[in-house]
Amino acid sequence: MNYPVWELYTLGGGFWIAVIAVLHVFVAHFAIGGGLFLVLTEKKGYRENSKQILDYTKKHAKFFMLLTLVFGAVTGVGIWFAISLVSPAPTSRLIHTFVYFWAIEWVFFMAEIVAIFVYYYTFGKMQRDKHLLVGWLYFIFAWLSLFMINGIIAFMLSPGAWLETGNVWHAFFNPTFWPALFFRTFIALMLAGLYGFVTSSWIKDPDFRERMIRYCAKWLILPFAFLILSGLWYLSAVPEGAKAMILGRSPEIVPFFRAFIWLSIIIVVAGLLFSIRMPGSIKRPMAFVLLFIGLLYMGSFEWMREAGRRPYVIYEFMYSNSIPVEMEQEINEKGILSLAKWVENRELTDENMLSAGREIFNLQCISCHSLDGPLNDIRPMTAKFGVYGMDSMLNGMGKLYDYMPRFMGTRQERLALARFIVEDIHGKEVTEHTPAEVPVLDFDIPPFDPDQDEYVLLAWNTLGLKCITDCDDYWSLLPPGNTIYAQLVRRDFLPEIVLDDVVITYQVDDGFENPADHVAFWDNAHSIVGREIPRNVGLAGLGMQGEFKLNENLMTFVAAGIPVVPYSDDGTINPYPFIHVEARDKNTGQVLARTKTVAPVAAEMGCKTCHGGEWRVQGRMGISAETASDVLRLHDRRNKTDLMARAQAGNPVLCQSCHPDPLLNATGDPELLNMPAALHGFHAHYLTDRQGAEACNACHPSDPDSLTDCKRGVHATTINLDCTSCHGTLEDHALTLLKGEYEKGKTLRAERLMRNIEPRLVVSLEDINPRTPWDQQPDCLTCHQDFGRPESHEVSAFNVWNDDVGELYRLRSDFMGLMCQSCHGATHAEYPSLNKYGRNRDNVQPMQYQGEPYAIGANNNCAVCHVMEMDFEAHHAGMLDGTRNRLDSY
Amino acid sequence: MDPSGLIPVADSIPTHWGWFYFFLILTFILHLLLMNVMLGSGIIALARHFKKGSDPCPICKDISLKLPYQIAFTINFGVAPLLFLQVLYGQFIYVSSIMMGVYWLSVVGILIIMYYSAYIYDFKYDQWPNLRLYFLILMVVLALVIAFFFSNNMTIMLNPEKWTGYFDDRSGTMLNLSDPTLIPRYLHFVVASIAVGGLFMAITWQFKQDPKAAAHIDQGMKWFTYATLAQIGVGLWFLISLPQEIMLLFMGGSTLHTVIFLLGLLGVTMILVFGFKKMVWPTTAGLIMTITLMVLMRDLVRNAYLSPYYHPSERTVMPEYAPLFIFLAVLILGLGAVFYMLKLAFEAGKEA
Repeated sequence: MNYPVWELYTLGGGFWIAVIAVLHVFVAHFAIGGGLFLVLTEKKGYRENSKQILDYTKKHAKFFMLLTLVFGAVTGVGIWFAISLVSPAPTSRLIHTFVYFWAIEWVFFMAEIVAIFVYYYTFGKMQRDKHLLVGWLYFIFAWLSLFMINGIIAFMLSPGAWLETGNVWHAFFNPTFWPALFFRTFIALMLAGLYGFVTSSWIKDPDFRERMIRYCAKWLILPFAFLILSGLWYLSAVPEGAKAMILGRSPEIVPFFRAFIWLSIIIVVAGLLFSIRMPGSIKRPMAFVLLFIGLLYMGSFEWMREAGRRPYVIYEFMYSNSIPVEMEQEINEKGILSLAKWVENRELTDENMLSAGREIFNLQCISCHSLDGPLNDIRPMTAKFGVYGMDSMLNGMGKLYDYMPRFMGTRQERLALARFIVEDIHGKEVTEHTPAEVPVLDFDIPPFDPDQDEYVLLAWNTLGLKCITDCDDYWSLLPPGNTIYAQLVRRDFLPEIVLDDVVITYQVDDGFENPADHVAFWDNAHSIVGREIPRNVGLAGLGMQGEFKLNENLMTFVAAGIPVVPYSDDGTINPYPFIHVEARDKNTGQVLARTKTVAPVAAEMGCKTCHGGEWRVQGRMGISAETASDVLRLHDRRNKTDLMARAQAGNPVLCQSCHPDPLLNATGDPELLNMPAALHGFHAHYLTDRQGAEACNACHPSDPDSLTDCKRGVHATTINLDCTSCHGTLEDHALTLLKGEYEKGKTLRAERLMRNIEPRLVVSLEDINPRTPWDQQPDCLTCHQDFGRPESHEVSAFNVWNDDVGELYRLRSDFMGLMCQSCHGATHAEYPSLNKYGRNRDNVQPMQYQGEPYAIGANNNCAVCHVMEMDFEAHHAGMLDGTRNRLDSY
Repeated sequence: MDPSGLIPVADSIPTHWGWFYFFLILTFILHLLLMNVMLGSGIIALARHFKKGSDPCPICKDISLKLPYQIAFTINFGVAPLLFLQVLYGQFIYVSSIMMGVYWLSVVGILIIMYYSAYIYDFKYDQWPNLRLYFLILMVVLALVIAFFFSNNMTIMLNPEKWTGYFDDRSGTMLNLSDPTLIPRYLHFVVASIAVGGLFMAITWQFKQDPKAAAHIDQGMKWFTYATLAQIGVGLWFLISLPQEIMLLFMGGSTLHTVIFLLGLLGVTMILVFGFKKMVWPTTAGLIMTITLMVLMRDLVRNAYLSPYYHPSERTVMPEYAPLFIFLAVLILGLGAVFYMLKLAFEAGKEA
C-alpha cells in the first residue's frame, strides 16, 4: 500500500526471506548453544586435564567462529535486508516499535563479537578462569541476543495486549515470549550437539573421537525432553486462531507439523545411533546428514511459526501482504488502486484492466506467491480457472480458509486481478460468452378425441429437472433416477380418479434405453450405493420401461427412479427426452389412454467453472474427470478425507454416504451438515452479491444460455421471475439451510459457514427462517394468496416454508385428490412453459387435451374431464378467471 | 507524477527525533572509520603485493591478521546507523532499496564471500604465497562493489523525483548512474579509505617494536597525505556536482552549512600539515574531527535534498522513553564488558 513492490516474480513469495532466515536461524541458534558447549567442554578439558579435549575445543572454536561470526552474522543482517525489500511496511513497524530493543541487541552483538575473538585468539594463552569467564560472557551475550530477537519475533505471532494498549512492553513480553525463549534455548543446546558431531567426527584418534561423539550426543539428547515440554507450553500460548492453523486448519502447515514430529524422533534416534562406534569415514558424512536433518528440523519449526500467524504478518494487526487490518474496510469501499501510493492505474478502464490487475497482484499476492518459482507458485494454483472462476475464487478467498487474507478492493478491481491472472499469467484467451446452440426437436402431440375418449391420462416429472452427476468414476452426488407421477381420470360430469383395475406403464424414448452405455454409474454402483444394480435399472428397481405403482395416499401412480440420462445412443444430447405413458384396463388389456411427458435430466452442473476441466461429453455437458478429481482433491485437502485415493482405487463414494440428504433419504453421518446445506453454505462464500440468478446459474443448469435452461415454467419465461424470486439469493438460500442445521444442533459446523455470509433479502440472520432441504420449499400460496393474482411481479416467495412435507407443490392435491402438478405441470415447468427444444415440449398434455398450453381445465376447459363446461370453482378459487399470462402463439 | 505523492507515510517514533539523529551520526562516524580502515588496508596491501610480488611483506601480513576483525566491526557498526537511518528516513531508504533490490540483496551474498576471502587471506597467508593475492583481490573488489551499491542507495533515497523510474522497471535493477554526484561521492569514500588505511598503518606500527616500524609509519603517512590531497580534488568535484541550490548553501547560502564546511576545510588543512610532518597522533585527532564535520555536512546535504518533502523533526512522537534509558544502561554495561575482555586479551599478551 505504502511502498513500491519489488516484482520478484520467480523468486518471490518470500523465497529470499525463507532461504536466508532458515539458514540464519540454523547457525544463529548454534551460535548460542555452541557458546555454552565451548565453555563447558573447555571446563571438562581442565577438569579431566585432557590436552586432547582442549585441542578439540580450540579447533571447534575456530569452526564456530568462522561459521557464526561470518555466515551467522551476515545472514542475520541479510534477513533484515530481505524483509525490508519484500515487506517494508511490517519491517518499518518492527523497527519503529522496537528501535531501542534492536539497539540493545546490537550492543549484545558487539559484545559477542569481541568475546568470541578474545576467546579464540587467546585460547591457551590466558589464565584458565579468565578464559572461561570470556567464554561465559560470550554465551551470556549470545543468549541475550536471542532474548531480544525472540521478543520481537514472538510479537509478530502473538502481539497480545499491545493490540489494545500500544505499550511496547506488552509487545515485547507478549504471550509467547517466555515459552518461545525456552524452546529456542533448548533447540540451541541440541544444535550444539549436532554441530559437535561434525567437528568430533574429524578427530583422528578413534577412541577419543567416539568419546567426544558420545559427549556431543548428550548435548543433542538431554535437552530434548525439555524441548518437548517447552514446545507444548509454546503451543498453548499461541493465539487460538494460529494454534488451530498450526494444528491442521491450514493444509500448508500440516506437512511441516508432521515433519517436525517425525524429525524429532529421527534426530534422537540418529543421535543414539551416531554414538555407536564406527569408522570415521562413515561418521563424517553421517555427521553432515545429521546436520542437514537438523536444518530441516529447524526449518520446519520456523515455517510453522511463520505460517501459523497467517493471514497476518503481525497477528491481527497487519496482513501478510502488508495491508494493515484497519484499512480493509476503507479499501473495500474506495478501492485499493485509489489508496495505494505506488500504482499507475488509479482508475479502471476496459483498456487498463490487465495492467491494473498486475498492480493489484503486486499489492496483494506477491508477498506470498511466486510466479514459476519454488514458493507458493501461483501458476499451478490458478491454472484451472477461467476469469469467472478466478473472480469467484478471489471472492471467497480468506473467508473460510483464513490462512490467506481476503481480497481487498472493489468488485471491478477483483475482476481486474482475476483477468490479469487468467489472461496475462496464463495467457488464456477470454472468449465472449455465447449461448448454447440448441436444436428444436420435432415431436407429436398424442391424439385425444374429446368426444370419444373416456379417459384423460396426466403424467409429469415431479422435480421439473433431474440433475445427475455423471462423474461416477470419481463421486456421485445425484445418481440417475427420474420420478414420474401419473393420474388417470375417467371423464364424466363427475369425473373419477381411477385407482383400480388399471395398469399404467411407461417407456422411454427411442435411443435412451441404454443409459449404462453413457454413464459409469452402474460400473461403480457397488461402491456408490453399496450393492450391484443391474445395468439400465434405477435405484428403486425400475428400468427404462416398466409399470407404475399406485400410491394410494396420493391417489397417484408413481414410477420412481427411472434412470434416464440426457445422452442418446445416436450421440446426441437431449435433456428433455420423452417418457411414453400408457394406461390399460387390467382385466382386458384394452388401452384406455396414452400420453407422454418429458423426463428432464441434465448433467450440466457448472463445477468446471471453478474446478477446472471441460464438459465431459462433446464439450457441452457432463462432469469431466479433471473437474471431478479437483473436487475430490480439494475435499480431501480441506476435510482430511481420502476420497481421491478411494476413487483411484476404484471405490468412488456417494456424497450422501456422509452428508445426510432428504432427497435420497440418506441419513449419512448425522454429525455432518446435510448435503444442500454443505454445498450451498460452502459455495456461497465464493458467489456473493451476484445479480439476479447469476450465482444459481453458476452451478445449476438454469442459465438461459445453457444447454438445458431448466427454468421453462411460466414464472421464469413469461413473467421473468428468476430463482431468487422464490428461493432467495444464494446467501439467503444458504442461510436458511444452515440455520436449519444449526437448530438441529450442528452448531459448530453451521456457524463456521454462516459466520461470513450476509443475508441480502432480510436484514439479519435473525430474520432467516430455517428449513429442511427438499422437505421445505417456497410455497405457491405465499404469492398467490387464496389462489389469486399476486399484487405485482415484485413479490417474493422467499422465507416462507411449508411446515409439512405433504404441503409441497409436488405432493399437494386439491381436496378431491387431483394433484396440483397434474394440471399445472412440473415444478420449474409450470404451464404454460416454454422449452428451447420445442416450445411445447413441456406442455404436451394441455396441448393434447385442450389444444392450448395452459393449465388443464383453465379457460373453461373443464370439459377435458367433466365433458362439459362448469361454473363452480371446485378445485381451487379463481380457477374460472382464465389464464393471465398467455403466450403469444403456440 | 508528483513524487511527494509517492513518499510512504512514516511510522511514529518513540522518542524525540534528536536522539536518533545523535545515534545516527555517532554510529555512522564509527562505522565510517572502521570501513575506511578495512577498505584502505585492503587496498594498501593489494598495492604492496602488486608492487613487491611475493616478496615478504610484513605490512601485508599485519593487515591480513587484522582484516577479519575490521570487517566484523565494520558490519557491526554498520548495523547501528542503518537502524537509526531506517527510524528517521525509513520511508526513503526502503523505497530506494526496493528500486535497486537485486543489487541491495546481493550485498548479503557479496559480503559473505568478501568476509571469507579475508579469512582465507589471513589463515592461508603463509601457506599460499601466490594464491593469497587472489583472495585479497576478491575481498577488495567486493568491498568496492558493496560501497558502490551503498552510494547508489544513499543517492536514490535522496531523489524522490527519480522514483517514478519504478513505473518503467519494477524488477529492482535501478541504479543511480545518471546522478552526477554518484561517482564523486563514491570516490570520496574510497579515497578517504585509502587515506585512513594509511593512517591506521602508521598507528599500528607505532606500537610495534620492529626495526622497520619507522619506515612503515612513514609509508603509512605517505598513503594518508597523498590520498588526502587527492581527496581535496574529489571533494571539490563532489561539491560542484551537487545541485546548485544545495552547493550554494555551503558557499554562504546558510551560515550553519558554511561554517561547518569551513571548519571541515580547516580540518583538512590541519591534517595535511600534521600528515606531512608525520605527526601520527595529532593527525589522528584531526582526522576524527574532520570526519565528524564531513559526516555532519553529509547529513546537511541529505536534509537539503529532502527539504521539499521532509525533515526528521516533523515526525510524530508517541513517547516511550524507558527503552531508551535501558538501551543507554545496556550500552554502558556492554562497553564495560567489551573493555574488560579487551583488557584480559591484552594482558594475555595477544592482540584481540
